[in-house]
Amino acid sequence: MPQNHSKPIDRADELRHITRRHFFSDCRIGVGSLALASMLADSQPTHAEATTSNPLASRPTHFAAKAKHVIFLFMAGGPSQLELFDYKPKLQELNGQVVPSSYVKNKRFAFIKQDAKLLGTRRKFARHGQSGAEISECLPNLASIADDVAIVRSVATDVFNHGPAKLFVNTGSSRFGLPSMGSWVTYGIGSESRDLPGFVVLQSGPRGPRGGSPLWGSGFLPTTYQGVPFLSGPEPILNLSSPPGFDHGGQGDFVQAVAALNRARLDAVGDPEIATRIAAYEMAYRMQSSTPELMDIGGESKETLAAYGAEPGKVSFANNCLLARRLVERGVRFVQLYHTDWDHHGNNDTHLGEPLDGRCKEVDGPAAMLVRDLKQRGLLDQTIVVWGGEFGRTPMGEPRDQIGRDHHVDGYTMWLAGGGIKPGQTIGATDELGFYAVEDRVHVHDLQATILHLLGLDHTRLTYRFQGRDFRLTDVAGQVVDRLLA
Amino acid sequence: MHRILLTALTHGTSRARFAVGMGAAVLLAIVAGASARPDDDAAPSSRRHWAFVRPSRLTPPDVRDREWTRNAIDAFILARLERERVAPSPEADRATLIRRLSLDLLGLPPTVDEVDKFVADARPDAYERLVDRLLDSPHYGERWGRHWLDAARYADSNGYTIDGARSIWKYRDWVIQALNADLPFDQFTIWQMAGDMLPGATVDQIIATGFHRNTLRNEEGGTDQEQFRVEAVADRINTTGSVFLGLTIGCARCHDHKYDPVSQREYYQLFALLNNADEPSLPVPTTQQSKEEPALLAEIAEAEKRLKMVDDNLGTRQSDWEKMFDGRLGVDWTVLDPIEVRSAAGATMTKLDDKSVLVGGSTPARDTYTVVVDVPAELAKPGVTAIRLEALTHDSLPQRGPGRAGNGNFVLNEFVVTEQSAVAGRQPAEPSAVSGQQSAETFSSAIADHSQDKFPVAAAVDGKLDTGWAINTGGGKPMNVDRTAVFVLKAPITAAPVAQTSDDPPGNVRLAFALRHEHTGAGYLIGRFRLAVTTALGDAVVLPESVRAALTVAPAERSDEQKKLLAAEFRKVDKERIPIAGRVDELKETHKQLKAAITTSLVMSERKQPRETYVHFRGDFLRPGDRVDGGVPAVFPPIVARGERPDRLDLARWLVDPANPLTARVTVNRAWQQFFGAGLVATENDFGTQGTPPTHPELLDWLATELVERDWSLKSLHRLIVSSATYRQSSRVRQDLTTSDPNNKLLARQVRLRLEAETIRDVALAASDLLSRELGGPGIYPPQPEEVYRFTQVKKFWKESQGDERFRRGLYTYFWRSSPHPFLTTFDVPDMTVACTRRVRSNTPLQALTLANDRAFFEITQALAARMLAEPTASDKDRLRAAFQMCLAREPNEREAIGLAAYLDTQRAHFSQAAADAALVAPKGHPTANAAETAAWVAVARVLINLDEFITRE
Repeated sequence: MPQNHSKPIDRADELRHITRRHFFSDCRIGVGSLALASMLADSQPTHAEATTSNPLASRPTHFAAKAKHVIFLFMAGGPSQLELFDYKPKLQELNGQVVPSSYVKNKRFAFIKQDAKLLGTRRKFARHGQSGAEISECLPNLASIADDVAIVRSVATDVFNHGPAKLFVNTGSSRFGLPSMGSWVTYGIGSESRDLPGFVVLQSGPRGPRGGSPLWGSGFLPTTYQGVPFLSGPEPILNLSSPPGFDHGGQGDFVQAVAALNRARLDAVGDPEIATRIAAYEMAYRMQSSTPELMDIGGESKETLAAYGAEPGKVSFANNCLLARRLVERGVRFVQLYHTDWDHHGNNDTHLGEPLDGRCKEVDGPAAMLVRDLKQRGLLDQTIVVWGGEFGRTPMGEPRDQIGRDHHVDGYTMWLAGGGIKPGQTIGATDELGFYAVEDRVHVHDLQATILHLLGLDHTRLTYRFQGRDFRLTDVAGQVVDRLLA
Repeated sequence: MHRILLTALTHGTSRARFAVGMGAAVLLAIVAGASARPDDDAAPSSRRHWAFVRPSRLTPPDVRDREWTRNAIDAFILARLERERVAPSPEADRATLIRRLSLDLLGLPPTVDEVDKFVADARPDAYERLVDRLLDSPHYGERWGRHWLDAARYADSNGYTIDGARSIWKYRDWVIQALNADLPFDQFTIWQMAGDMLPGATVDQIIATGFHRNTLRNEEGGTDQEQFRVEAVADRINTTGSVFLGLTIGCARCHDHKYDPVSQREYYQLFALLNNADEPSLPVPTTQQSKEEPALLAEIAEAEKRLKMVDDNLGTRQSDWEKMFDGRLGVDWTVLDPIEVRSAAGATMTKLDDKSVLVGGSTPARDTYTVVVDVPAELAKPGVTAIRLEALTHDSLPQRGPGRAGNGNFVLNEFVVTEQSAVAGRQPAEPSAVSGQQSAETFSSAIADHSQDKFPVAAAVDGKLDTGWAINTGGGKPMNVDRTAVFVLKAPITAAPVAQTSDDPPGNVRLAFALRHEHTGAGYLIGRFRLAVTTALGDAVVLPESVRAALTVAPAERSDEQKKLLAAEFRKVDKERIPIAGRVDELKETHKQLKAAITTSLVMSERKQPRETYVHFRGDFLRPGDRVDGGVPAVFPPIVARGERPDRLDLARWLVDPANPLTARVTVNRAWQQFFGAGLVATENDFGTQGTPPTHPELLDWLATELVERDWSLKSLHRLIVSSATYRQSSRVRQDLTTSDPNNKLLARQVRLRLEAETIRDVALAASDLLSRELGGPGIYPPQPEEVYRFTQVKKFWKESQGDERFRRGLYTYFWRSSPHPFLTTFDVPDMTVACTRRVRSNTPLQALTLANDRAFFEITQALAARMLAEPTASDKDRLRAAFQMCLAREPNEREAIGLAAYLDTQRAHFSQAAADAALVAPKGHPTANAAETAAWVAVARVLINLDEFITRE
């Protein structure tokens, strides 16, 4: 399909409300009229029609991309970097002392006060891999792939309540109404899957992530680009299965009958929106078989299932990691996995002992296996894997029933692997108490800019005009983190 | 923001940018057209931006084809078309027109009968009559109310992470009623912005202020409440800006607006006007409730009067009571030595030297302890009157106990005692098997030295397993200490005759206790306990220590405090008082319930003492700068203050002052957008310098002045627009214009618009004749898939509506911000977190899946099929024609009729071969003999409901 996309992303605002129409405008020379002509001839859909009618069709990037897919492992609640990645001898030494006021002057926290006491970790740390990455005993599997990942110990964010902070990492703003990263990406470059949504959300853990659907919402972008949550069970997408009594063939007859009448109407009124509707029904029909096929992990080898710790029919992070690989294999652009319950404040079921062990056990093996599996299959080069939460946790302890830590925004840890990421390195550092990121600080907007960059998108040019302003994922900030790039 | 806009501006002036994506011919045409504007000039920057200049009243232009025009709107449109040498489209046919009008004005399709009548109506004013009838329909308020509720970001929950329920549906009702009554838009605005401040404000005027109570509220733990209050005020400014002024004022929160003349200081002046409201809930009783309350209050007063009389005429009642205790105040406890202790869940039970029992080993979720004791004869003889249970701390317990839960708490759900026949070698009956009810019959009262809020000790002997006694403390008081509970028996336990053969010493009484822990939370079990009994006077046992002490003092020597104490204690047992006091409590409870049953609505209420407002440095409320007073940006006409300083009501009146250059323009533009899919200004919420200029500036100004001229009557404005020839055009896409005017800016045709989510549901319900047309009221819960809540933090209330409720219009669907009904989101309903002045219209596979497969939609499809089959005809052809009319308000053409008939035949053939499938597809309750035939028609109905045209306004 010939495309003329000198500025593929910066769509003119008068087109912004009508998902379909801009394809004809964007592609108005040649393809649009060709497709229209073929439709008016009441023929079967041509390839051109199918492509131009699909707002999720793959589109060119700003510059050559390093990666094609993203798998974002979102650790909802905010894992403690101090127990997992960021070992601080000084913090051990000052364990139990009140935090120096120079650190917390004018600072607000969600629960603890300025006189909170520093808390050293009880976890053992060691260096791993050729790169000597420092990882605690909680994540032995990650340690085993240390040379495949880049650890960023200097991530910083802006907001310290869960809802706003989750929005911030996902949309670049703590306020509602902005598109999520997956929406921006699929809006910018579409998806490579014709049979599945371009942006899929999977979830595991005891409950849904705080904040709900706005986390994967499309904001002011057309809803075509919003994340589609896949549910557990045989019907991952709402309304995926035909009503009882309509088998696959019956559903096919139905789709054909609808298409025939819609084509008749298209001939009568000439509205290209009808062509899009026909294409949408056809894709929906394909999804009815492609999605159950995707979700059926029973066909994976015993070894693979065991390596992930996945069990067919179960809801788990392990199953979701395996599904993430299957989604990427099928061309899905952006996959986000939420695993909840990392909010270790110190209640009986949320402290830094067994509850943290529990989360790590659920996540560590499958996440490491995902990276390994993608690598074995040659998919890691084109897939960015990101692991991290909406914020980290304070160097100060939070005494409740037991001991925990409060929300912390000034320095925490994430790791990345795959597509265009330089592996086997640890970037950035926090100060001696693990409080502020002091070296190679990577703000959330920088991280977002970097992910877009790897996908071939310039974060300053991926914009959308809304209410008189060109909005973008990174607001008015964001620098690509060069050190992360391979 | 600077940097991005610079990139955007590399395309040159805003006018050139506006042309991006259009053919060159149109670019020239539009520049030429715009140049014809009387106030246009070559260098816009040297003049004031058009939108900040008050619209002037223009005379509609002359046109060549006067025959075509029906009103002034058409003159403006046609003049432009004639200039471009484009002919308008012909008028749509009558069937299309009535469906278009019904959908646009009511959001409902016309009935088959209405279509027939209109098509056959030969009167010259048939169209106008139809318009009038529709504008008079109560469903008009529902249709246009829904548009307004988008702008008002209406929802039934608080948003953010917890997203608790809220009650504000009275505001929705008010919007519907106000639009039906055609409340002038200036009043409509003033009431919503500041109805509470109007002199002698009515309930309706106050309910209207719910408009700005639709802001979010963050209930998450650890939030700074002031931060989110400020956030709500900022949202009110944004909303006021985009809904009334069509301006992106919010841009000036952190710094001066880059493009429009709104400084950061001016932003905070607006902030000051909206910063002084309290946010109460207004009770809105029904007439019945308003009547009931005074009667109830009178009854309470009467009962309280009687109570006072009883208290004032004590006679000797209290002194008799006091005398009863003479010499019988002492309470001696004898600790019981357990013979046998068991844990039903397998915990280890260790008897300690002090005869207490320590529980250890595994910590099960639930457990029942059985303790068997012998009460010595010397106690049994006078009779045991009360039992004491001590919950004791121990180093081996979490936080030292006395409970086994992580924090040392426990919940004792029931404390049961049963008398055993003391036959040696025989297992005592299992007390836990005894019904809990028994404890309520055994004991008359219970006291403890401490009970946790909502877990009173009496709950351990109330016969219910879902209530219990617990000991957590508030306010930093220690919880992990010894606790004591005393249970008084209704009838003393006395020595029973013992079988002669027994080896037990005569007179001993064997008792079995059960300590039942059934709390659903894990491991809330007592960790160490000890039992004791007493033979003291039951009434004395329950006396608090202070009362006991007071009773030992001679009456004449008691302090005032002691006298008060005794009087209060006596009132609890005064037999004359108890029934009357009970009646008072009962009446008060009824009153409480009446109050609770009264619907409330979130409203605004201006504070007497205004808050001080400061500029927030970079928008951060923690960094206040200069103090500012209320005011409006200098680019606008000044605000007129009633008092010393302008306030919210002054702002409301300023918005709708005819001198305000924006409000009327923005309002007519949004109406235009509903009727033509796009506004004359395409950026309906940005009339600033970065918005797109109007396609028909003169028409926009004429309509704006016309609205004011017509006393801000929206119905009159809508009548004017739908009466125009412009509106009545066919929406068929013009092949001659696909390159020169692909976005239909010239309006040489009408436009096809996909229906909104709520309307799609309504149209389907109407076609199948299921629709309930009841107006107003609280939210409804149409069926939705159970899986919806897999992705929310808290499972939301959703008790599926039944009967007519199930089939009410979509706009009444209860809206949880964190998990809206999936049907709504799939069809582009905004998330209602911020004002939405225009909905997106997407076209996705998920929509296809929903219409094709959703169970609730299939239920509607089955009803539609039943309606088709009820048509009195034997011919497929006639029935298919009727079906088409029900769904699309028109007859099928030949190609369509043939196609649908062919599908019917294949389905008939299929279902007659597949009886099981047919039974599933045919609606329940349909005679099974016809199942195949019925199923075939359900399949047909399903196709019709899934057509693009079914969900499109043509």
